Amino acid sequence: MTALLELHGVTKTLKGQKAPRTILDGTDLTVDGGESVAIVGRSGSGKSTLLSLIGLFDRPDGGQYLLDGRDITRLPERKAAALRSAEFGFVFQRFFLLKHLTAAQNVAMALVNGQGWLPRRKRKARTMAALDRVGIAHLAKHRPARLSGGEQQRVAIARALVREPRLLLADEPTGALDTETGNLVIEVLHAATDRGCGLILVTHDWDHANKMQRVLRLSDGKLQPATDTRSVPR
Amino acid sequence: MIRLSGRFRSALIIGGQGIRARKTRTLLSMVSLFLGVMAVVVVQVGAETAKNARLADLELHMGKDGTRQTYLPGNADTIQISQDTLKGRKDAVAVSTTQAIIGEPGVNPVNPGAAPFDQPGGGQYAGPGGGDMYCDPRGYCQPMKAAGDAPAVPVPGKAIELSLNALTGDIRQFRPFRPVSGQWLDFTSEPSLSPRIVINLEAAKGFTRHQVPAEMRVEGATANPTPRIIGVIDDGNPQPTAYTRADELQNWVPRASNNGDYGPGLQLMLAPTASDVEQLLRIRLTASGIPAEQIHFETIQARKDIAKELALIRWIFLGMAGLVLLIGVAGILNVGLATVGERVEEFALRRAVGTSRSLLAGIVLAETLLTGLLTAAAAIGLSALGLTAISALFGDREQFLQDLVFPWQAGAAGVIAGLVAGLLGGLIPAIRAARIPIATVMRA
Ligand SMILES: Nc1ncnc2c1ncn2[C@@H]1O[C@H](COP(=O)(O)OP(=O)(O)OP(=O)(O)O)[C@@H](O)[C@H]1O
Ligand SMILES: [Mg+2]
Repeated sequence: MTALLELHGVTKTLKGQKAPRTILDGTDLTVDGGESVAIVGRSGSGKSTLLSLIGLFDRPDGGQYLLDGRDITRLPERKAAALRSAEFGFVFQRFFLLKHLTAAQNVAMALVNGQGWLPRRKRKARTMAALDRVGIAHLAKHRPARLSGGEQQRVAIARALVREPRLLLADEPTGALDTETGNLVIEVLHAATDRGCGLILVTHDWDHANKMQRVLRLSDGKLQPATDTRSVPR
Repeated sequence: MIRLSGRFRSALIIGGQGIRARKTRTLLSMVSLFLGVMAVVVVQVGAETAKNARLADLELHMGKDGTRQTYLPGNADTIQISQDTLKGRKDAVAVSTTQAIIGEPGVNPVNPGAAPFDQPGGGQYAGPGGGDMYCDPRGYCQPMKAAGDAPAVPVPGKAIELSLNALTGDIRQFRPFRPVSGQWLDFTSEPSLSPRIVINLEAAKGFTRHQVPAEMRVEGATANPTPRIIGVIDDGNPQPTAYTRADELQNWVPRASNNGDYGPGLQLMLAPTASDVEQLLRIRLTASGIPAEQIHFETIQARKDIAKELALIRWIFLGMAGLVLLIGVAGILNVGLATVGERVEEFALRRAVGTSRSLLAGIVLAETLLTGLLTAAAAIGLSALGLTAISALFGDREQFLQDLVFPWQAGAAGVIAGLVAGLLGGLIPAIRAARIPIATVMRA
């Protein structure tokens, strides 16, 4: 069986302040469908950079990226946009909600992206189902300003789930939340994997990382299994 | 097809959300663009109105575009041949022009040579060989008797001279005279024994200004009939002019005698479709001895002539309006760039959830295009309203202001100006929006 995604020897060099810095230096990663993986690492180790490559926000300089065994390392932008829409869901530390739209409209914007058009009634049904999955269907008509941090992050998760992606990419989704709310958000994310959706969670919180099936550490541009449970730097 | 419509509908929704979220900005963009679009619309309205006014005057004066016309020497033969050939034809008219004097017999008319009443003109000149000449305003001169003698021309009295046009058919199909009062000539009935005439505005002015007896003298006429003035029209002619049916006039003016010194003029006007008549006229006229090269038909093309005349002025004004529009474009560009700066996160997010670069650029562009269109609509609406107001307020002072209609060319120019401004003002923000790096914005 082919894995959902495979990274082989991926490299990425970013323009630094003075000299270019190699952030990823031969990173390997394999994630199966429905699998949950936590990625930990020092601040600045390149976790967000790695997620942006996986999520097709950016392209690697070297190495190979396979999705369902298909090489998408050098995908043209138009096709990348279609894959972002169909295959991935994104959740960020900052919630990135549009303040002039209601919760429901914020969720629906993932359906109004020029890809796979759905008529209004279907959009509405999908939006409400997604909000229901994260437990805030009753807040559909609220604008972000009237929602708590945890509620806002759940709107963002509903937005990531509304197209039923195969892989959720979450970059420190609890970073801006208190412990209790953070735990709730992780539960919501974890529940999404019950339906066969994969999850890559970047986190600084070992408790959250431990809830995933595998924990990997990014250091020196490479991923290794993280075993030393108590030495994850905060 | 379905994919395209999905993209299009997404763009509509996203663009609509963008405009609704930034109503003040949209309004400010519109304000900055408004003067420019308005200037373009007003220039076009002015140019079209001027053109139509000129064209209406020219049509009255020269005839409608496409009409075939010729001038022939008006002698007995040409008049007889053309009147006979055109008799009963609905699509061709022969106009033979003579001078007629209405009023007291034996006096010189107040306006010799059928001059306009306010600009007499004409007078005495030293002719060649020392003899004095008397010239009427048209430039027809005749020698006066020996110096010191009473002039050959009688003293002015209670009489008015008109240019009298005898028509074989309804000339209004070629020259759309505006009715002023009374009726137009009826060409369908039997010719009347007393000639019915329709006079133009200038002639009407003469009759109200000067009390003249109702007796008409026509050059070569056998009797002086009492004319019946049945109507007044505006023919755009500054000369006092009268129109009558050729067959009615013939009751007084036998054609054979129609051979005066400077003879009557003969003008033929034919519909573009009446080429058979043209053919027939040529054959008959050449057969009667008129040299073929004298029969020269030309097509009236007033529209083209005016277009040339007004094009330069229009372009100069449009150029100035364009400059004003450019200032508006700078305004919309300024607002657009500021907006993109503010919406960096929104655009990155939209790209992250799968909106393509091109669609995003299209949406940003569509928002400014829509702003441009809204501005155009406002400018066009206001101009149309202003035009109606001007027409209502000043319509009774100037004929051409009376029934002004908003010219479609002005509407089209406004829409084009709005779209071009939207395109110019939206292009750079659209490109910027498409270039936002998602990875950088969405980093935690
Ligand atoms: N756009 C950029 N251009 C150049 N260097 C960058 C850019 N973005 C990030 N970097 C650098 O790349 C390195 C990796 O950044 P990245 O955001 O991937 O780290 P991270 O592991 O996510 O850190 P954190 O845990 O603080 O989120 C950092 O040293 C950062 O300074
Ligand atoms: Mg990070």
